[in-house]
Amino acid sequence: MLELSTLRAEAERLARQLPDLSLQAAAADLVHPGAAGRKRSGSGEQFWQYRRYSQTDAADQIDWRRSARGDEYFVRETELETARTVLFWCDPSAGFNWSSGPGLEPKADRARVLMLTLGIVLSKAGERIGVLGGHRSPSLGRAAPDRLAEDLLRPGAQELKPYRSETLSVLASDFYEPLEVWQANLSRLSRKTSKGVVLSVSDPAEHDFPFQGRTRLRRPGADKTRLFGRAETVRETYLERFEAHREALKNMAASMGWILVTHRSDTPALEAAAALQAALANLGARL
Amino acid sequence: MTLGPFLFAAPLALLGLIALPIIWYVLRATPPTPKEGVLPSLRLLDDVEQREETPARTPWWVLALRLAAATAAILGFSLPIYAPGVTGTPPVDGAVLVVVDDGWTSAGRWSEIRNVAGAALDGTSRETTAHLLLTAPRELQTDPAESLGRADFAARVRSLQPQPWGADRVDALERLNESGLAPARILWLTDGIDPETATPFARALAAKAPLSIYAATTRGPMAITGLNADANGVETVLQRTNQAEPASYYVSALTLDGAALATAEATFAAGEREASAAFDLPAAALSRIARFQVTGTSSAGTVWMWDSADRSRRVGLVSGDSTAQPLLSDIHYVRKALEPFATITQGDVQQLISDNPDAIILTDIGQIEPDAQTAVTEWVESGGALIRFAGPRMAAQEDTLVPAPLRRASRAIGGALTWEDPQPLGAFPDTSPFAGLTPPDDVLVRQQVLARPGPDLARRTWARLADGSPLVTADQRGNGTLILFHVTAGPDWSDLPYSGVFVDMLRRAIAAGKGEAIADENGLYTPVLTLDGAGRLTQPSSSATPLQATEFETVDASEVHPPGFYQGPSGTRALNVAADYDPVPVESWPEGITLLGDAEAQTVRLGGILLALAVVLLAIDLIVALVLSGRMPRFSARAVSAGVGIVLGVSLLPTVPAEAQASDPFPKEVQAALDMRLAYIETGDARVDRATAAGLRGLSLTLYRRSSIEPDEPHSVDLETDALDVYPILFLSLPDNPDPLSPLAVGRLNAYMRSGGALFVDTRKGGAVGTSNSFDGLDDVLEGLDTPVLAPVPEDHVLTRSFYLLTGFPGRYSNRRLWIEATGAAAREERRGDGVSRLFVGDADYLAAWAVDERGRALYSVDGGDQQREMAARFGVNLITYVLTGNYKEDQVHIPALLKRLGGEDEDDGEDGGVIP
Repeated sequence: MLELSTLRAEAERLARQLPDLSLQAAAADLVHPGAAGRKRSGSGEQFWQYRRYSQTDAADQIDWRRSARGDEYFVRETELETARTVLFWCDPSAGFNWSSGPGLEPKADRARVLMLTLGIVLSKAGERIGVLGGHRSPSLGRAAPDRLAEDLLRPGAQELKPYRSETLSVLASDFYEPLEVWQANLSRLSRKTSKGVVLSVSDPAEHDFPFQGRTRLRRPGADKTRLFGRAETVRETYLERFEAHREALKNMAASMGWILVTHRSDTPALEAAAALQAALANLGARL
Repeated sequence: MTLGPFLFAAPLALLGLIALPIIWYVLRATPPTPKEGVLPSLRLLDDVEQREETPARTPWWVLALRLAAATAAILGFSLPIYAPGVTGTPPVDGAVLVVVDDGWTSAGRWSEIRNVAGAALDGTSRETTAHLLLTAPRELQTDPAESLGRADFAARVRSLQPQPWGADRVDALERLNESGLAPARILWLTDGIDPETATPFARALAAKAPLSIYAATTRGPMAITGLNADANGVETVLQRTNQAEPASYYVSALTLDGAALATAEATFAAGEREASAAFDLPAAALSRIARFQVTGTSSAGTVWMWDSADRSRRVGLVSGDSTAQPLLSDIHYVRKALEPFATITQGDVQQLISDNPDAIILTDIGQIEPDAQTAVTEWVESGGALIRFAGPRMAAQEDTLVPAPLRRASRAIGGALTWEDPQPLGAFPDTSPFAGLTPPDDVLVRQQVLARPGPDLARRTWARLADGSPLVTADQRGNGTLILFHVTAGPDWSDLPYSGVFVDMLRRAIAAGKGEAIADENGLYTPVLTLDGAGRLTQPSSSATPLQATEFETVDASEVHPPGFYQGPSGTRALNVAADYDPVPVESWPEGITLLGDAEAQTVRLGGILLALAVVLLAIDLIVALVLSGRMPRFSARAVSAGVGIVLGVSLLPTVPAEAQASDPFPKEVQAALDMRLAYIETGDARVDRATAAGLRGLSLTLYRRSSIEPDEPHSVDLETDALDVYPILFLSLPDNPDPLSPLAVGRLNAYMRSGGALFVDTRKGGAVGTSNSFDGLDDVLEGLDTPVLAPVPEDHVLTRSFYLLTGFPGRYSNRRLWIEATGAAAREERRGDGVSRLFVGDADYLAAWAVDERGRALYSVDGGDQQREMAARFGVNLITYVLTGNYKEDQVHIPALLKRLGGEDEDDGEDGGVIP
């Protein structure tokens, strides 16, 4: 597990290299960053409509400039704006918190760095960020990345349960559980949460299957081991399975309106961060 | 047990071979342990059937490796011996007698002889005991009747060494007969030389029991048997035993300590048993050669010890003047002229005579002390050559030990008050030992002592000047010779010491001494260095006894008189074992004798080799096993490079400190010699030393900034150990309670000042204005220092104007006087730095006034503030300038006066209308 300071520093470094993110990329006329127009009147800065004065309005709400043009009093209303909420979730399983060699980061750590990077960028853009299934509610402002970092590193399972209001979600895992499990999870989330990004982080050893000869293989977090007389004979099968699983995962996510971002832990984190950012911007624009 | 040519000392161990198939089966049945691996995505393979569950087998080559190791171990434990001579012969009962020729003639192939001797019990006589008979005679001879078991015999054989003297087979046969031993079989290991004794010996042995002979005749050159020396060089004579093919060998000429001065080639023509190696060496190099050795051999015969006869003369030097400047002294010229040809010792007359040299040279000693005179007279009459040089002292007074009576004055030729010109050398008289030398034209004699004319003078004259006055006279006194050079040995009176003919004249004069020519019939020579059988120089053993001088020609080398150097009354004499030796190989042995070839006679013990092989194989197997089981997982590039790094590091380890040393700055004296530095004497008081060092640093800085004197960092010196001559000036800043300097330190300080060094003493006591200097305690500290008369610095002394114009010499205290050598004193004393004062004594704490810290800031307060500090610094600059330039600046003092005088003349000239450029 990463140190908090390391995680924070690494994420800051990455975030500095990323362009600012606006979930409003499509709605360019909305100048205020981070806030999305809710298509109804409320507190905000954008003009929404003029409305006739009614008895319940206070006198200082009257827009005198408009009212001077006629005989009636008008009140100026602005469009309601609220911040987006983006929630992050990191797979707590032992298999995810693993790396194949001493020179490689564990997959979970890489995922945390990526998610915090996104969190920093988003919070700079004024979005609300937090952890999915955490005890603390999502927050805004400058302290938000700190809280996100703490929550990401907090030990203990983060329950994969939908948030009470509409949010975007980023789920990081290696997704080696059977696809049915994940389909159930995603659909449960999609009921409340509209959409999200699925971040799949994998280790180079899982891509290459670098085992030869008589080998006893073990899965982290499971007691069961498997002995292969000649590991190289299984390699072909394994690679086929791996590719098929990838494909199925991608299809599943797409069918449910989610976006899959894949990342190998021996490639630079910046690529993944950029892909993640693009995916979020894409989703934000769709919203 | 025997098996073909193999003997097994422990045959039961061979039963272990039965176990080999079991080992094979077990090894094959056990698969290697699997490697461990972790893979989170293993779930993807959950439903995959394993197509091939049979484990990988142990690779066949690992199996072969392990089996080979086991086989080698089992065979090794059975202690096999490879003995090709044993095939088919049944064991012999009864003791075997091993006869070994262990004279120097066997040394060439000694290792083979020893191997064959060691194998004597491995062959057919493996179940019996052995007896040993050595043919080289010794005082404490082993008894051939002594029965040796296998282990004892092996140990005895291992300790055998060839003796540096020859074998005596007749004597050995007598000993064998006396012992009454009746062996069942005899093995004779011989050098195969000298048929005259070898054939009867072989017959006598064969008469006692079946005889086998292993003849190890030296293959290469056998011995250096003679040496011819003449004026042009040295020629050594080599002998060999086989005469078939041509061959060439090298002979080295070595000094006593083993340095090779020259190497010469000796080529044996086909069919020749004799060859010679000629050395063409200058006499100076010849005089250092102590022995000749055939390169690549180790035998007492291939070393020729060369004694000191007709080589180096021993000469004693006695000097009349003890001048402070060694390079200007007379004795220096004599020493330089003689060094290549003679061994020179220096000392007083008495001491030299007790050493009994060939010649004694006295330079300008008017009168030898009366008690020494009788000793000298005796020594001369017994054959010594006394060579004397004239000089002022001899001109004033003389004694009886001169070849001709002298006039009481020296004759100066040439100069302001004489009509004559300096005289060149005349031709050398034919009767003189110098006859044949060419007198050089450019040697002029300016002064000489004159002999009183007498009837014998012409006969006694060895050399004369062009005008006929004798230059060198000589006379017989008893067996010895008195020789007088009528000039000094240095260049004061003549140019003779500059010329090459001087060297030749001295050599011939020395040759008049007795040298080794006079045979000392009664002289007893004791061995000092002897050769061992392998031709190495060793200390003589306790059984070595002295030899009479006359016996050297007749005696043969033996245990009592081992070959080597013998020291006696007239130098060293050498005894060579192979002198005039003629190595005749035995061509035909008597009938009925088994001659063993090299292969038959020797055996090879295989046990150790096989066991070592087993260990090596097991070590390889260990690595292989680790690699196969993946326990050596990171055999990666990094690990390999780290391993290589460690290996390289270990191999470079000894060189690293060497390099570190090389990168060290030069030693202190070298640093001081490369850059001019100021130096101070350590007093042991850390505070004072620190202040002194800071003061010198400040002074160096000031000098660097203001003048062309650019001193480097100052040094501290220890008077007793450091080289002092490399520093122009030493500062001694005394602490409050100084410890006296040791006599050694004061002695070295005296020598330093005598050879031109300067000493600045600062007592740091200071004092009020007007009080005189207090130098209490200085005498105690510098007790024994060669102190001239001191005086305060005069007003117009150079010190006040060598760089700055100064009126006083302030330090931390102002108005203190500085004491230097009184001007007149320098003239009265021996020449001492050209009248420049070499001693400065003051008490104004100058060094504190100069002292600065690392950043150049002044460290101590000064009485008169910055003004006075500046004046103190100026005094420092003046002082160092004065020390470095000497009286040059003193001459500059007079320049105004000179200019004024010139200017006055200028004006006179000007009136005449002349133009002075």
